Amino acid sequence: MSTKASPKTVAARDGGGGGVPEPSPAAGRSGARRRPSGGWFVLPFALCFGLFMLWPIVHGITMSFTDESLTLAGTSFVGFDNYAEAFGDAAVWNALGNTLFFTLITTVPLVLIALAMALLVHTGLAGQWLWRLAFFAPYLLPVAVVTLIWQWVYQPDLGLANQLLEALGFAPVGWLSDEAVAMWAIALLTVWWTVGFNFLLYLAALQSLPDTLFEAAALDGAGAWRRLWSITLPQLRRTTVLVGMLQVLASLKVFDQIYILTKGGPNDSTRPILEYIYDVGFTGYRLGYASAISYLFFALIIVISIAQLRFFPRQEG
Amino acid sequence: MTGAHPRRRDRFTVDRRRFLRLSLTASGAALAPGLLAGCGAPAPGGDGLGLKIWDLFSGGDGLLMDEMMDTVSGGPEGFTLDRTILEWGPSYYTKLAMAAAGGRAPDVAVLHLSRMPGYAPGGLLDPFDMELLAEFGVTREDFPPALWERAQWEGTLYAVPLDTHPFIVFYDLDVAERAGVLDGEGRLIQPGSPGAMLETSAALAEAQGGAGLLFGHVTDPAQNWRIFNALYAQTGATFGLPESGPAIDTDAAVRVVSFLQELFDGRTNPNHLDYFGALASFTESRGAMIAVGEWELPTLRSTGIRLGAAPFVNVFGEPAVATDSHSYVLPRQESPDPARRREAHRYVAAMLRQSLTWASAGHIPAYQPVLAEPGYADLDPQSFYTEAGDLAVLDPPAWFAGSGSLFQDRMSQAIQPALLGNASAEAAVGRMVRECADLLDQPNPVR
Repeated sequence: MSTKASPKTVAARDGGGGGVPEPSPAAGRSGARRRPSGGWFVLPFALCFGLFMLWPIVHGITMSFTDESLTLAGTSFVGFDNYAEAFGDAAVWNALGNTLFFTLITTVPLVLIALAMALLVHTGLAGQWLWRLAFFAPYLLPVAVVTLIWQWVYQPDLGLANQLLEALGFAPVGWLSDEAVAMWAIALLTVWWTVGFNFLLYLAALQSLPDTLFEAAALDGAGAWRRLWSITLPQLRRTTVLVGMLQVLASLKVFDQIYILTKGGPNDSTRPILEYIYDVGFTGYRLGYASAISYLFFALIIVISIAQLRFFPRQEG
Repeated sequence: MTGAHPRRRDRFTVDRRRFLRLSLTASGAALAPGLLAGCGAPAPGGDGLGLKIWDLFSGGDGLLMDEMMDTVSGGPEGFTLDRTILEWGPSYYTKLAMAAAGGRAPDVAVLHLSRMPGYAPGGLLDPFDMELLAEFGVTREDFPPALWERAQWEGTLYAVPLDTHPFIVFYDLDVAERAGVLDGEGRLIQPGSPGAMLETSAALAEAQGGAGLLFGHVTDPAQNWRIFNALYAQTGATFGLPESGPAIDTDAAVRVVSFLQELFDGRTNPNHLDYFGALASFTESRGAMIAVGEWELPTLRSTGIRLGAAPFVNVFGEPAVATDSHSYVLPRQESPDPARRREAHRYVAAMLRQSLTWASAGHIPAYQPVLAEPGYADLDPQSFYTEAGDLAVLDPPAWFAGSGSLFQDRMSQAIQPALLGNASAEAAVGRMVRECADLLDQPNPVR
């Protein structure tokens, strides 16, 4: 999703005449005018970026070396104590493990199911608009509504899920109370809720594939499966890389639905690292320690992102 | 609890302010004093904004709070109030702590009394002026002594209790009558021993044709602690959290958790309900009795079930009820304005006198003169559990404990597997002790 627009291309596009740079005196004059005005246009963003991104990042790092508290207690420099504490804190590792587990069990289905749904819709099922709407609609719901719906679906006594199981002759499941099940239940909800966005990305990619390829393949005698495996899927490679990367990042920052539904329970089995940071910093008032854990998590995200870039080099499809 | 309006302002004050602002722009500043006088509200501190109030009442009791504020705002002595309702829970206490640390806090805020040890020692609260309170007719004799004691820190008053809100039992009067567990006046016969409580719940279950006692605890951050805290105090043991390490009578704690396992055996009484599931089961008459906070009274009353209520059942001998208290506090101000402070004291005193309205939400007024008013004895079923206010057991005093705290959540999570049948009582208690030790090991961020 990185939008790389160098100042030069921006300036050229800005030129207003098709973007072919001509060394005419007029263009030179306007070029000289453009440079400072560009700076002014960037300024509001740069200010916000500095104030709300750069400064907190820098301030957070300094805070992670102190015992700063949310309250009035004095702050003192503690060196690497917070980091040492975090490395020895079993709750940090447990929460990190939960976050990674959640990322794994949501990213795979969120990519595969989205692809399958997009392919189904693209094959030309009747009532296209209905499918598109049905698959995408849950994504439009705010998290509070989604969790409210699923709280009742998973309700142990009266919930839809257990009623269905009982009707089919199975024993009821403690969807949110059983340590072995709770994270899967949250993952299921998350897939239902967010798969629509990935589905839309895939559908858009599918609709932009050139018909000529498929026509040529069909003339050469390739069947539907052959065309899917040899043309459609390879052509979707870039979209898959994009969807996968976005999804990994989105899953790593899971917080809201878990916080609302289980508060990290039962027995911390669903507590993600972000909730632990929140608990330590805002409920426990220990901002310094919370910052240190945040930066450990930040480092992990960078490692994962680099690994992803290695595994899926950005290449033209 | 559900916090439908995380941040809502009292309508009449906003309207008044907007009206004021519009009038100012239209007619010039000269009109302002006239308008204020027209509203009959003196402007404390001279800025015309009135007292800033924060509270956490977003449910049925929030509407009653509206009513009380309306009442005290009327008349020549009325207040100008700017109310902000925030959602109850950990985030409320984070916001309040931050506002106080920043020194620009609201003039008056509501705080659970059990949270005071996390606020007063760290300088996040300013003390009340006893002389000022007395001038407005409020003295220590007006409160239950135990409650008054908890409102002090180092001999200074930092909170004025508005109510106590105990964890109690509601029951279906018709079913309880059939089960034969009531005395001649329709009050629950207190069991007094674990065996008798099991018999009571079995009799209720049989009369109901469903469950005896309903209790929702799954994934709840407080319920297990509330029921444990009440029963543990009934054994006569104390749950101490001194800085040297947890002082917990593990034998008594294991007895309590074992009893809970027996009580919620999954047959007579379900063991897997969550909070709303238990409420729903009770309102659908699938259980005869429910263990829940009295603040659910407005919800339960709307079901049409003939409701009885009692202080939480006495099982282990010593009468004790898990309770907390909504209290008024003065969050720390960088440079408090004496006129506003005086107005804040006057406001707290005026609200205490409105406690009868507050009692209709189910809460027990802390201001004792109200209990003597004839209207209070007529409140049914509130008057059935009034004594719960005297049996109050709050959280052990520690900076990390209290309503909506990490401590209650950790304790509840430790007990949950035992109730669900996934852990022994010993394991649950062992984990509670470990969790307490961990919390005590943390550097205290409020000192």
